[in-house]
Amino acid sequence: MVTPESVQKGIEAGLDCAHIEVIGDGQHFQALIVAEAFSGKSRVQRHQLVYAALGERMREEIHALSMRTLTPEEWSQAGGAAQ
Amino acid sequence: MDTQEIIRQQVNTHPIVLYMKGTPQFPMCGFSATVVQVLRAAGVEQFHTVNVLEDAAIREGIKQFANWPTIPQLYVNGEFIGGCDILREMFQTGELQQVLGGARKLPA
Repeated sequence: MVTPESVQKGIEAGLDCAHIEVIGDGQHFQALIVAEAFSGKSRVQRHQLVYAALGERMREEIHALSMRTLTPEEWSQAGGAAQ
Repeated sequence: MDTQEIIRQQVNTHPIVLYMKGTPQFPMCGFSATVVQVLRAAGVEQFHTVNVLEDAAIREGIKQFANWPTIPQLYVNGEFIGGCDILREMFQTGELQQVLGGARKLPA
């Protein structure tokens, strides 16, 4: 089974995250991802970066990953709050 | 005609196209259902939908078309706008209503 921890590791392996939280039940996952790489990127481009980090796993195993993608600056403006 | 060309024609023929699982009346996935609700809440009454569960080639091809691995996917004026999370966020900030307001009008 895919666990939130394995999803988190998969994202971290391909993307330098300032902060990351993943919760989920093995079927559905919710991720809060804070990364400098998102600066100047659209929402679509940010999500594509995360999908690319997960690579083929996304296609095969993770049917439903919801995510919030923030830059460190946006995150601190949001109060650095957990999801 | 190959699948990518079929998709290109669909998104260029219809100003607003939603690729989804099921239909607006009978969505077969919670994320697709959410996007239909978001579109309605944004004031959109008419949009073209493609049920990917009825066409395996489109279901796979749409993931390559926008380099986006999940369904639902929304296109406005031929441009990929986003999936469920993005559309929900854009609705909350009002950006989605702006994008949809700029959708081409079909000739009467």
